[in-house]
Amino acid sequence: MPTQPPLPPLLAPYVSSLPHSSLTVLSSVLGATGNWLVLRFLYAALSSSSNSETAFGLNGSDGVKNRRVVLVSFLRGWEFWRSEAKRLGLDLARLTDKRQFAFIDGLSELFYNTTTATATPQQLFPGTAAPRTVLPVRSQPSPVPARTPHPVPRPGNVSTNPASREIGPVKRLHLSGNGTAALDALERDIATVIQQLKASTPGEAEEPEVLLIVDQPDLLLAATGPNKGIGATEMGDWVMGLQQNTHATILTLSSDSPLIHNASASAPHPATPLETEHAAFAIGSAHRAQMVMQLRNLETGAARDVSGVLRVSKGGAWGQNEVGTEGNWEEREVLYFVQRDGGVSVFGRGE
Amino acid sequence: MSFRKRNIGLSTGVDRASALNSTAQPQQAAAAPETNPGIRPSPDDGRPTTSTGSRSLDNLLAGHGGLPIGKTLLIEENGTTDFAGALLRYYAAEGVVQDQKVHVVGMPEQWGRSLPGLIGPADTADEKPAKRKGERMKIAWRYERLGEFGAGVAGSRAPVATTGDQASPAANGDQAQQPAFCHAFDLTKRLTHPSIANIHYIPLARTNEPLLISIHKRLQAAIAQSPPNTVHRIIIPSLLNPTLYSPEASQPETILPFLHSLKALMSAPSARVTAMITMPLSLFPRSSGLVRWVELLNDGVIELCPFPHSADALATSGAATAGEEPPQGVLKTHRLPVLHERGGGSDQNVGQDWAFTLSRRKFEIKPFSLPPAEGDKEAQEGAGPGGMPKKADLEF
Amino acid sequence: MAPNLSHRQTHNLLLISKLLSLRDTASPLTLLLDSLEQPATPLVKEYIRRAKISKVHVTLIAFETLKPLDGVDAFVSARRKSPSQIVKEVGAAYQATAAKASSPRRLILIDSINPLLLSKTNDAHSQLSTFLSSFLIPPSPSAPKVEVSLVVTFHQDVPSPPAQSPYSPSSLSMLIYLATTIIRLHSFSHILAQKAARDRSLAAPVFGLEEEQDGVLLGRLDKPIGKDSTEGIVLEMEHRRKSGRGVLEWYILPPASQYSPQHLKEVVTLLDDHPLYRPPEEPEAGAGEEEPESTFELRLTDRQRREREGVVLPYFDAQQGDGPGEGGRILYDMGEEDDFDEEEDEI
Repeated sequence: MPTQPPLPPLLAPYVSSLPHSSLTVLSSVLGATGNWLVLRFLYAALSSSSNSETAFGLNGSDGVKNRRVVLVSFLRGWEFWRSEAKRLGLDLARLTDKRQFAFIDGLSELFYNTTTATATPQQLFPGTAAPRTVLPVRSQPSPVPARTPHPVPRPGNVSTNPASREIGPVKRLHLSGNGTAALDALERDIATVIQQLKASTPGEAEEPEVLLIVDQPDLLLAATGPNKGIGATEMGDWVMGLQQNTHATILTLSSDSPLIHNASASAPHPATPLETEHAAFAIGSAHRAQMVMQLRNLETGAARDVSGVLRVSKGGAWGQNEVGTEGNWEEREVLYFVQRDGGVSVFGRGE
Repeated sequence: MSFRKRNIGLSTGVDRASALNSTAQPQQAAAAPETNPGIRPSPDDGRPTTSTGSRSLDNLLAGHGGLPIGKTLLIEENGTTDFAGALLRYYAAEGVVQDQKVHVVGMPEQWGRSLPGLIGPADTADEKPAKRKGERMKIAWRYERLGEFGAGVAGSRAPVATTGDQASPAANGDQAQQPAFCHAFDLTKRLTHPSIANIHYIPLARTNEPLLISIHKRLQAAIAQSPPNTVHRIIIPSLLNPTLYSPEASQPETILPFLHSLKALMSAPSARVTAMITMPLSLFPRSSGLVRWVELLNDGVIELCPFPHSADALATSGAATAGEEPPQGVLKTHRLPVLHERGGGSDQNVGQDWAFTLSRRKFEIKPFSLPPAEGDKEAQEGAGPGGMPKKADLEF
Repeated sequence: MAPNLSHRQTHNLLLISKLLSLRDTASPLTLLLDSLEQPATPLVKEYIRRAKISKVHVTLIAFETLKPLDGVDAFVSARRKSPSQIVKEVGAAYQATAAKASSPRRLILIDSINPLLLSKTNDAHSQLSTFLSSFLIPPSPSAPKVEVSLVVTFHQDVPSPPAQSPYSPSSLSMLIYLATTIIRLHSFSHILAQKAARDRSLAAPVFGLEEEQDGVLLGRLDKPIGKDSTEGIVLEMEHRRKSGRGVLEWYILPPASQYSPQHLKEVVTLLDDHPLYRPPEEPEAGAGEEEPESTFELRLTDRQRREREGVVLPYFDAQQGDGPGEGGRILYDMGEEDDFDEEEDEI
């Protein structure tokens, strides 16, 4: 199979020009994860600024925009994204220094950390949203720790004081309390990072376009659920709140059959609240999205040179606003193959 | 035992591996050349891996030859058998033998006393090369290439060796001097090892804190208190089994934050942890959304579907040759560590059907094939190693 | 029967025209049932377009829309708001924006009612009818009479929460019961595919979520655009007249790119009149109209029946025992490329 550029030509029109205030949903399943595609979005948004001769899909005409990316990941840590981006030639640590990229860690301390764990019992009383753990003010990351965001391994990782837990550029999210109050706190944290990224270049007249990628916020829904006052509506509102701060937003969601189809009316068994809420959030997000990129396994079983199927479809909100760039792509289904070296080739069936 | 020698072997392995793949994480590769026989850089990308205690399973894990550090493996089992429990015991015993810190959640100390006895390094315990060769004659010709699998990356001592058949004899020669990466165990014997007393048991006792939170805190504390380079193994048998766990543990808002935090704990760069979790699928079917989320929160997901006990006919005829043990069930890989995180594909082991056989001495995973027609054994045995069966062989 | 058909055509086209243009408050509460396979966006835009032409004041209550659509006079974001707050804000927004026009007619659009029904904080389920009727009832008797039409979108594929009491109706049944007009939206290409399958007595294909395939949310893929363009959306309309009589009809709305925004003539046609759905070379297609009207064509046309009877099935031929094909054997002439094997082959 011939090697393809970091951004395969078939993929370029879909990942490089996202319309203003749009939502893109990227759905994945257990055996076909979407991290490689998230990395392609990162590449499309960030590589052009450092390397302007890169072919930039259809967006080449309107020049190189001032793009920034905020990545919020709930399932994978900084180390994963940094090393995987490096395979594509993106140095996220350096881009963080240049204030073009910010990573928000929703994995490390989202549910339990030393402070929230002790506070949990009193949070079991519903309605009383516990006061959010006071976070240290995000300090300006000095270049040196930012390059090596994880310093020497520390045995006492948990017992160190909170200030040193703020590793370099990485902001860590903490979920505490119930319902919308807990979500609002997360939203504030993320919005703060977005604003800092926007405000970081006073010299430029044009406000930078911030692309927000939220990796698997459905975990938040699954792990809290209706008992904690968080449902599909609250999550949808949360995403809308985040969208207000950004140029474009990408959500990655799981669309495994048990999470989507168990809740449908034709299912033989009554669905659990987890399934109902997940399906409502995922399908509701697809209704709100301009573009839905669906990853799935090959129907005919696994193959050695195919990792999965990518189907790009127009979401429920497609065509809502008359934007010229919006109509530039058409729906398509392609196969993709993630190579050992991290490269991806995208090709049509039978090619 | 000479650690020094092992050291050299390892560092060359690292060099080669990083030469193969320059993007290997530098700090993990740097950590590898320690005098730790239980850790070995992956031939795929140089990340440190550790053995699951079962060579067959090590080989299955997407070319890494072991379970990469920081990854979890979920083993799901249908029915009421306990093949997954045997895998857990191998995993625990390997940890004990390698002087790693083993944490067992929800099991009494008797569990640790029932670990399988040590036979020796997995390579010596395996068939001798000569015997292998003889057996190869019997393997149906179309599976002959899969001999590579049997003696694949984990089988060869040097991580860079890829074709097992050539590398094995050489590796077997100096094997005695090098500490092994993977050991063979005997399920009928009991493990006696000085460090068996170091197993850390976390009981599922009622505290004033929610159960899973207290487990997580104890794990976190134990890992934080241990010396920096300790390698940890977390073993969670029969997760959510109602005879062990209280009903509220199977609420998504309890179990999912626990698994998420476990993932966080393990992916911390300072930690060197692997975990193996088993889960009974007859109580929590894969078709439910909760189980799917449990799977999504794990790096590797393997499903065991044992054959029914009474199906002797099927079991005997399912053997690829008369000399092999009949498979006891089918193994499905739904997700493999690292590989699927990157997007999947490009692994020779993906897309195969696997059969597993648990014998006294090992848990073996082989390609699964539908049984040949009864009475066709002679024809199979007559098949030469390299060629099609001749017409004369097929005629009776 | 041709007169009957043309009667139906005139009446039902007039009806849809009246409904979409909000004339005579024909339907105070319209429910749009859409799905990912055919979102309501094009129809909502058509509502707004017609409202603009006839100077109707448009309010959009946005549960899931971030930016106001073009042509909307008042945009009310419903994010994190209780039903009573929304009603208040809609009133305020109308006061603020309608003063200059003081249009006697209003269109209130709700982009999606599902978030309200799924909300954990609001007890929206029990308040649903109050919430919806509060827009239709004038705030005070003294206020000037305004004709309000409410158009509510409901995503059918988003699962509804279980009813609070097992004995109470589901929210969808409640909405359908309350609505005076229900429009179900279908993708034209899917309707054609289903019709083609039915004509061949095959099981109708399903798309998207209904395929129940792992990882598939949307099944729709662009069809090649050309002469046989299958763009457009199919509206399955169910209208309750004031007299109590119900009307059921299928229409097709062409894509907005095929007419200008100022286009005044009716663009919607009956689905049965569409050349792709019912090819025009069948003049007697409407025969047998005396049966209860169905929107599905279950019968064969005369020509199809004649042709079916004309088909000679192979076993008939074999039974006659004369001529070629006797006994059902296959007669075959050897070609030079054929390799004749005496043991196996026989002629």
